[in-house]
Amino acid sequence: MASTVVTDQVTLTVNGQSVTVPKGTLILDAAKKIGIDIPIFCSHPKMAPVAVCRMCLVEVEKMPKLQPACAVYVADGMVVRTTTEQVQKYQKGVLEFLLINHPLDCPICDKGGECPLQDQTYQYGPGASRFDFEKAHFDKAVPLSDKIVLDRERCILCWRCTRFSEEISGERELALIQRGVHTIIGTFNDEPAQSNYQGNWTEICPVGALTSREYRFISRPWDLDRTASICPGCSMGCNIQVDARHNRIGRFQSRENLAVDDGWLCDFGRYSFPTFQRQGFEAPRVRQDGKLVEVSFEEAIAAAADGLAQARGAVAGWASPAATNEELFLFQRLFRQRLQSPHIDHRAFRPTWPDPDPDDMTLPIADLERCDYVVVLGGQEVIDAAPVLHLRLFKSERRGVKVLKIDAEQGARAREWVPADAQAVGILATVSHKKEATDLQAALGKKVKGSVRRLLVVRGPNGRGANDLGILPNFRPGYEGLNGQSGKGRAEWGKGGIGAAYIFEASPLHAFEATEDERRWLSGLKTLVMHRFRASPLDDLAHVIIPGRAFTEKAGTVTNMEGRVQRIGRAIDADAVPDDWMVLQAIARKLGAPWDYHESSDITADLLDLIPQYAAVDRGERVLWSERT
Amino acid sequence: MGLKPVLTKDFGTEGLRQLDAYERTGGYAGYKKALSEIKPDDLVELVKKSGLRGRGGAGFPTGNKWSFLPKGMYPRYLVCNADESEPGCFKDRYLIEESPHQVLEGILIAAFAIGCNTAFIYIRGEYLPQYEALESAIEEATAAGYIGKNVLKSGFDVDVILHRGAGAYICGEETALLTSLEGYRGEPRLKPPFPAVKGLYGKPTVVNNVETVANLPHIVVNGADWFASMGTPTGKGTRVWCMSGHVNRPGNYELENGTPIRELIMEHGGGVWKNRRLKAFQPGGASMMVLLPEHLDVGLDFDAIQKAGSLAGAGAMVVMDETTCMVDAARRYVKFFHHESCGKCTPCREGTFWMSNLFDRFEFGEARPGDVDLLLDMGYNIDGRSFCPLGDASTWFPRSVIKYFRDEFEQHIAEKGCPFRKETEAAVAVA
Ligand SMILES: Cc1cc2nc3c(=O)[nH]c(=O)nc-3n(C[C@H](O)[C@H](O)[C@H](O)COP(=O)(O)O)c2cc1C
Ligand code: SF4
Ligand code: SF4
Repeated sequence: MASTVVTDQVTLTVNGQSVTVPKGTLILDAAKKIGIDIPIFCSHPKMAPVAVCRMCLVEVEKMPKLQPACAVYVADGMVVRTTTEQVQKYQKGVLEFLLINHPLDCPICDKGGECPLQDQTYQYGPGASRFDFEKAHFDKAVPLSDKIVLDRERCILCWRCTRFSEEISGERELALIQRGVHTIIGTFNDEPAQSNYQGNWTEICPVGALTSREYRFISRPWDLDRTASICPGCSMGCNIQVDARHNRIGRFQSRENLAVDDGWLCDFGRYSFPTFQRQGFEAPRVRQDGKLVEVSFEEAIAAAADGLAQARGAVAGWASPAATNEELFLFQRLFRQRLQSPHIDHRAFRPTWPDPDPDDMTLPIADLERCDYVVVLGGQEVIDAAPVLHLRLFKSERRGVKVLKIDAEQGARAREWVPADAQAVGILATVSHKKEATDLQAALGKKVKGSVRRLLVVRGPNGRGANDLGILPNFRPGYEGLNGQSGKGRAEWGKGGIGAAYIFEASPLHAFEATEDERRWLSGLKTLVMHRFRASPLDDLAHVIIPGRAFTEKAGTVTNMEGRVQRIGRAIDADAVPDDWMVLQAIARKLGAPWDYHESSDITADLLDLIPQYAAVDRGERVLWSERT
Repeated sequence: MGLKPVLTKDFGTEGLRQLDAYERTGGYAGYKKALSEIKPDDLVELVKKSGLRGRGGAGFPTGNKWSFLPKGMYPRYLVCNADESEPGCFKDRYLIEESPHQVLEGILIAAFAIGCNTAFIYIRGEYLPQYEALESAIEEATAAGYIGKNVLKSGFDVDVILHRGAGAYICGEETALLTSLEGYRGEPRLKPPFPAVKGLYGKPTVVNNVETVANLPHIVVNGADWFASMGTPTGKGTRVWCMSGHVNRPGNYELENGTPIRELIMEHGGGVWKNRRLKAFQPGGASMMVLLPEHLDVGLDFDAIQKAGSLAGAGAMVVMDETTCMVDAARRYVKFFHHESCGKCTPCREGTFWMSNLFDRFEFGEARPGDVDLLLDMGYNIDGRSFCPLGDASTWFPRSVIKYFRDEFEQHIAEKGCPFRKETEAAVAVA
């Protein structure tokens, strides 16, 4: 008996090999599934097909013309051929076309060695060109902004950058100008591009047309050492690759994590790398007779341990929300166990802070796409605090998610705006507007049928980890209360009773940033220990200065704002400077601690004992506090 | 066969551009009849039955095109394509100039048939007087109640918006036209989705040529059978052929489809000028392949011309006499395509640039053996590979010239220059 099976799968053959894929798959992706590579330039998995470069044309049986594999969807029984004589001859032809007006300046091009045009020319190209006329000339080294330089001769007009500007960031800053062979990429009226996402253009450009000013002529790709890490820019936790040459950072590149960054970085984070570039060796210093004099690390550590101990518990500890979980774990143990001080904090100065809790991150970043309504409470302020969020929000909007961006005080508007039949509502806010966010969440929780979740953007790449690990006067690691044993928070330190302070300023991007009042009480301390990577405005008040390591010089884990524990890798050797955790251990040992860690990963193991949820690090998952027993 | 003025029957009537004169010749009777007697769906059937095929170039059956509109999806748009920018083409200009109301009436009938309440006319930017003629026709028709709300109490609302292009040939291609009409850079769009499903502003849209719509009033008044009685089995009706080049009487001639090309050129055109011999001719417009005197008895008809190795295209006829340098003719067309390439896709953008350079080399006596094969090879890499037919078509005329006149290319190489120019220069020197 004949029966038709309704199925969403289609089966086709590519080069004689059969493959079954869901309906709506492009030929290109179906071929990829069985390991058949079809060369492309304009096609990009995150952008709608445009089929402009014509590189991917293949034979499809029953179709008279070659078809663009990047734009034609599969059909049942389709017969595709990608390596026939016709296709191969044409591939040579189209590459020859692409190169006739290309300057072929590969030897001085930043992209050389990681250039799809170069690679595909070697693989599919004609070997030699028959074009012997004057090439069409265009401007080279055109500054598109203070970040990006455009070489219009190298551009092959693949539209990826313009489509990024339109479909991914929605800013429509880049456009095609002129037409025909005179077509160029540019901005309106040649005004400097202002996007905060321009670095992505350089990564998707399949040639060396769009280059980062900071990386121009810095390295050949094959000379780079690549280390997987996490962007130190904010609490988003975008995955990066630190590319270094001769032990210097060359650039930060994105390292796609669909759950977090979706493959993109913001310029703030991407171009923050010069901040982490080490400028030679700096000796530790200790104040003697009012003057800071250079000493060894041992001496500085001894002086720090001494000074802190003398305060007899009246010691304040501030750790940057950029420090790793391992460092923070030791930091709070040093204070709570060795210095007998509960006065620790990681936050910026504010008279009051709401208490953090695990519910601040019940909405994973990627779930924004699956909400039907999202309220961005604080509007641009939220985006500025975690810029890549904008790309996720814009993507969600394009897929039909309704997004409302309003000032934090306008929660009432959002209460009206979200309809009662909403299925999944998301609220985004910065941690400083937690109250407004939780109020709105409560109100909407009563109004709507579906779920209402919130995600708070915290400060620093490990601001969430600092909360989780109890770098707070009133919480132990794991949000455990202190049974009335709470210490003083940063806002109270200036009110008296503090004799010494240890400021662990792990990143210049997330420094202590003292207010005028704070400087005043800091200057009255008997001991101020500054443990920091780079010169700090507080150095002049310090009694002990211990140079620390840059984010790029250490390994460990950090937890992003949604509670995902991710590893950072050591990209740069800084052997003359002890690792920050070692300094913490050395101080603690001076104070009698039996710690004997050899690697930061040893600390991770201990940390997992205390907070089992952090085992999520090895699964790349979020820490789910609700699993807590 | 032969001259058959249907669209052009009343051309020359005093004041035909004005509404009253147009109505005296029977104008707007078709529109009124359609509104009062025919249901939109029946109108579509009527046009299907008439066998009318699009006059914009591709010859697509008009009624079928209309019936591709997805059911129940509104608003829908009708766009009349008056971009006419292909060298050799000037029949739409003539139709608009002589009788703007006829075009407008056709648009209104088409709009009614497909259920469109906002119709657009996209007119070539350079056609300023024609734009003005249409503009005042729209004004008059609006005043007369043919455009507006509840036209002639039929319940049909219609508005007509006239839009001037900015001088790009590519904007005649229907998807580029829609993109331009929306205010973007004029570039063709990926198909599917086809305009019938997702056209102007993402809505179902029909794009029809000026001459196509100008046929509609006559079909409505005289019936499908009347229309189908003219022409050939697959090419019903008449076409307005715009003839130019080396011919004694260039101009527009409306002929029944199937009329031999010989009659158009030799009889109506008065033959090749200056008593010279016919070397070649090109039907269709700048895109189309060249034909030879041996093809003179081919009928002016989509299928017949295609069988002969060219295409009827937009109904142009360019005549070339024996003094024509075919290499130079091809060169000029290639330069046109190079200039008009929108730049969206690689083969057309780069290929037309290269071809244009290569043709200059023939003209300036620098061509080398192998250059003709190089041209053919480029044709292989452009035709059928480009994003839209503009790129494909840039290779058709030059390749057909190589097919029939390869010796002229060789001559250019051997003599290091254009043999025809040398001849003319010599003739000028003698005189
Ligand atoms: C490069 C190019 C230019 C074109 N220019 C015109 C034009 O000026 N006028 C026109 O009616 N059709 C033009 N066409 C054809 C249109 O795309 C479309 O097929 C036509 O307007 C449909 O109308 P019809 O069905 O009434 O023929 C052009 C096509 C191409 C590829
Ligand atoms: S600049 Fe790069 S990404 Fe942009 S169109 Fe040119 S080649 Fe493509
Ligand atoms: S063939 Fe390509 S470059 Fe040429 S006009 Fe069409 S889309 Fe533009």
